[in-house]
Order: sequence, then C-alpha cells, then structure tokens
Amino acid sequence: MKQNKKGIKGMVLHYLRAINAENIKEWKIELTYKPDFIRQFFEPFVYLFPYFLYGFALLGGRYSEHLRSITGISDMVAYTFIGYLFIGFLNTACWAMGFSLRKEQWFGTLETIFVAPVPRWVYVAGMALHSTCHQGLIMLIQAVVITTFFAIVLQMSGIFVTLVVVLLMLLGLYGLGIIVAGLTIALKQWWVVSEALSTLIVVVTPIAYPLAVLPVVLRRASMFLPTTYGIIGVRHLLLGEELVVSLPTIFLRLTLILIVWLTFGMIVFLIMDRYGRRKGSLSIY
Amino acid sequence: MWVIIEEVRKSFKILLAYPAEVVFWIISPLLWVIPLVFQGKALVGAFSSTAFGNLAGTDEFIPYVLIGAIISTYMFSAVWSMGNSFRDETYYGTLEHILSAPVRPVFILVGKGLYNSILSTSFVIVQLLICVLIFGLEITVIKILPIFLFLVLLIIGLYGIGFMAAALTLMIKEAHGLLHMFEYILFLFSPIRYPVEVNPITKTISVFIPLTYALIALRGLLLNIEFNFWKNSIILLGIDCAVVPLGLIVFHYVEKRTKSKGTLSEY
Repeated sequence: MKQNKKGIKGMVLHYLRAINAENIKEWKIELTYKPDFIRQFFEPFVYLFPYFLYGFALLGGRYSEHLRSITGISDMVAYTFIGYLFIGFLNTACWAMGFSLRKEQWFGTLETIFVAPVPRWVYVAGMALHSTCHQGLIMLIQAVVITTFFAIVLQMSGIFVTLVVVLLMLLGLYGLGIIVAGLTIALKQWWVVSEALSTLIVVVTPIAYPLAVLPVVLRRASMFLPTTYGIIGVRHLLLGEELVVSLPTIFLRLTLILIVWLTFGMIVFLIMDRYGRRKGSLSIY
Repeated sequence: MWVIIEEVRKSFKILLAYPAEVVFWIISPLLWVIPLVFQGKALVGAFSSTAFGNLAGTDEFIPYVLIGAIISTYMFSAVWSMGNSFRDETYYGTLEHILSAPVRPVFILVGKGLYNSILSTSFVIVQLLICVLIFGLEITVIKILPIFLFLVLLIIGLYGIGFMAAALTLMIKEAHGLLHMFEYILFLFSPIRYPVEVNPITKTISVFIPLTYALIALRGLLLNIEFNFWKNSIILLGIDCAVVPLGLIVFHYVEKRTKSKGTLSEY
C-alpha cells in the first residue's frame, strides 16, 4: 500500500516536472524572438482601443444613459475594459493551447515529444501553465495602464471572489483549449478551428454589451459558456453590474461547465490522438 | 509571365487542400461586425446615432461598419497573407527551392500578390452579395465602375505594403507577431469601424494610410455620403506610385541580403 502511494506520488511529481519543463521551454522559445515577445504586451491595447473609439463615436462621450438603464453602469470605458480584460484568457485557450501541437509539427518535434514517457495531456497542461502565466502578466500590465489612464475605480473589496470566478472560468476554458489541441491533430489547419470558435464565443459572450441585447437564441447559447458567467460575475464584483443570475448560481454553473468541458475536452483529445496515430497522419501537414 | 501564373495556380491548389479556410474567410468579416452591432444597441438603444452621424455623415452605424469590415479583407490579405507567404514556404520546406529557381524572385512575389488579390476580391464580392441579399444593401449598376476603380487603387497600394511585409518576414523570420501588430495599427488608425475624426491622433495618422481614402470613397458611393471623388482617387494613385516601387525595392534588397548572409534557411 505504502509502496503504491510512493508510486503515485512519484508519478505525479514526474508529470509536474514534465509540465514545468514544457512551461520553461515555451518561455525560452518566446524569448528567442524578442520583438515578438515585446509586441505581445502592446497588442491588448491595440485590440481594446477600437472598442473605446467606436463607443466614443456612438455616444459623443464616455457615458451612456441607455447602458446604465440596462446594467446599472454608465461608464462605457470601464464596462468594455473589464469585459475585454478577462476574455484575454480565451486567446490562451484557443490560440496558445490549440496552436501548441501544430507549432511542434512545424518545428519538426511533434513525433519526438509524443514518444516521451508521459501522457499527451501532460504536454497540453504544460502549455496551459505557460499560457496562463504569460497571459496573466499581460493582463496585469493592461489593467494597471488602462485603470490609471482612464481613471477607472474598481471595487477592490470583491477582488478575492473575483479571482475565484476567473480561476473557474479559466479551468473551463482549458477544456476548450484541449478540444482545439485535439482537433488540430486530425484537422491540421488548427487556426481555422481556433479562430472560428473564438469568434463565435466572442459574439455570444457579453463582453462589451449585456446579455439583454442579445437575441434569445444567442442568449441561450451563452449560458453554456464559462466566459459568460466569468465576465458578468467579475463585472458585478468589480463594477457593480446588475446581475441576471445570482452569484451562487454563477459559481454553480461555472463548476458544472468546467467539469463538462474538461471531461469532454479530454475525451476529444484522446480520440483524436488515437485517430491521428492509427491513420498515420501525425506527421502529415 | 508563366512564373506568375504558375505561382497563382500553385497557391490555389494549396488553398483548395484546406476548403474550411475559404468558408472561414468569407464569413468571418461579417461575424466580426456582430459584436459592434450589439455594442451599439447597448450604448445607444437603437441602430442609429446622431453623434455618430455628425462624424461619419450617416447616422446608421451598421452599414458603416459592415462596409469597413468587408473592405478590411484586403488589408488582412495584404499584410497577413503577403507577409506570411514566404514564411509558409519556410515551413513547407520549399523556400530555398523557389528562391534558387532560375527566375527573378520578384516574379514569385508578384504571383503571390496576384493570387491574394484575386482571392480577396472573390471574398469581397461574395460578402457584398450576402449584404445585398440579406441586409438589403443597395448597389446601383452605375456605381459598379467607380467602386471597381477604387478597389483596384486600394489593392495596388496595399500590395506595395504587402511586398514590404514579405521582405520583413524573410529578414526577421518569426514576424507573424509584428505583422499582426502592423495590421492592428492599420486597423486602429483607419476608418474601418469608426470615423477617425473621433480622435485627433487617429485623424492625423489615418492621412498616411491608403485604406482611409478608399473607405471614404467606397462608403460615399455605397451609402450616398458626400465625398470628393477626384481628391480621393488622386491621393490613392499617388500613394500607389510611391508604395509599389518602394515595396519592390525593399524586397529585392532584403532578398539579396538574406542570400548573401546565408540566413535563408534559418527558422
């Protein structure tokens, strides 16, 4: 029994080491391409500003009476900013995790890492760890700059609960990342899958608008996404947005979604991995 | 000429191996408009805004952003596809082969540009048809010729930029991030989603971007907004005359430099 426990502990440590090795390898590769690495810290601002400028053009200013009447928040900048800040993790799931296997294929190292003595999911978990650290750093810088520049006041009392909501959302998104990574093995053109999924999720998630403006079909679809609960929860806690579902319901649904998405993701990944090897398509471009 | 035709043929063959990409590029610019429609509805509670009208010349923001999204297909194609065209050859392992072929590399580059122009124009035509059939956009026959004129002027200028983007990739290899950045800067400072007059900085920088003049003209033609036909076409022509030779010179110089430094095959 004791030996068995030791064996499990050793295996877990072995996996954790492999996950960390993958994380460090990714940092090393990224730091090799310095201009690209620096660029990633500026990019979120370039993504965000068109939404602000579009809002300014529509309103002729920063505040919207109509937005206040449906959400309780009139500041368009703060409302949009919080939505886009946390949707950054969607990129982590769809792009970084999904892209991971295709990138190894381009580098000519996919077969090599796939014969390493660890399960395949360990590799994707390593990518997830790396992407979370990287994206977290980018978001932190973005948050400091935007809140200072636009003088956005956040309710800091809810910061701990906010982090729990973000963590649950993130774990749910990992499920999506694993699905995309799995589909990449079979479909090869990973970016079409990533881009299509992320575009659809961005449309349905209430990032720069509340659920109330979505048509009924899209509103229902948004109820299956971790990003919906993540963003409305965070915006409620940090800005005081009026909620359409209670906070305990948000926690419950986020937990359910993350269980379903992670399980489904792992199943898809394992099926695709087996399919790819059986068909011999692992090394095909 | 045969080199250019063969390059176009080869690129289409590769594209057709991934049919999902074709569908994606037709639909995605239209999908990108949807969040803007919902954002507009949330902010103003309607599909028109007086404040927007004061800047853009039309109160209705949906057709405004729709046209911006469709025409931005050219921008993505010029910067992204052209920029990555030689990087893709590196990944396929064919870059050294095509650049050591007994033809001038600039013809291969022009072939890639022509392929991207044909492809983007096909996408734009399908997108416009979708807008006409589903969103009720009206295009009168008499306007087709001036629309075509401005599209050609835009394509030429953007592919001049595309040639430079291709050179950049040959030089610094992992340039997709920088290309993305460049693409988003064009996106931020051109009137794709909003009138650039909303901010003095966007207004100033937009003056140097060919997309600005093309969008003013095309929106003017499609949405009946007043604009100066000759001024916009002459400026676009001037930009084309400057950017295309510059793009070719930059590409020629970089291609020679990578060959002499022996960095062509590096990742």
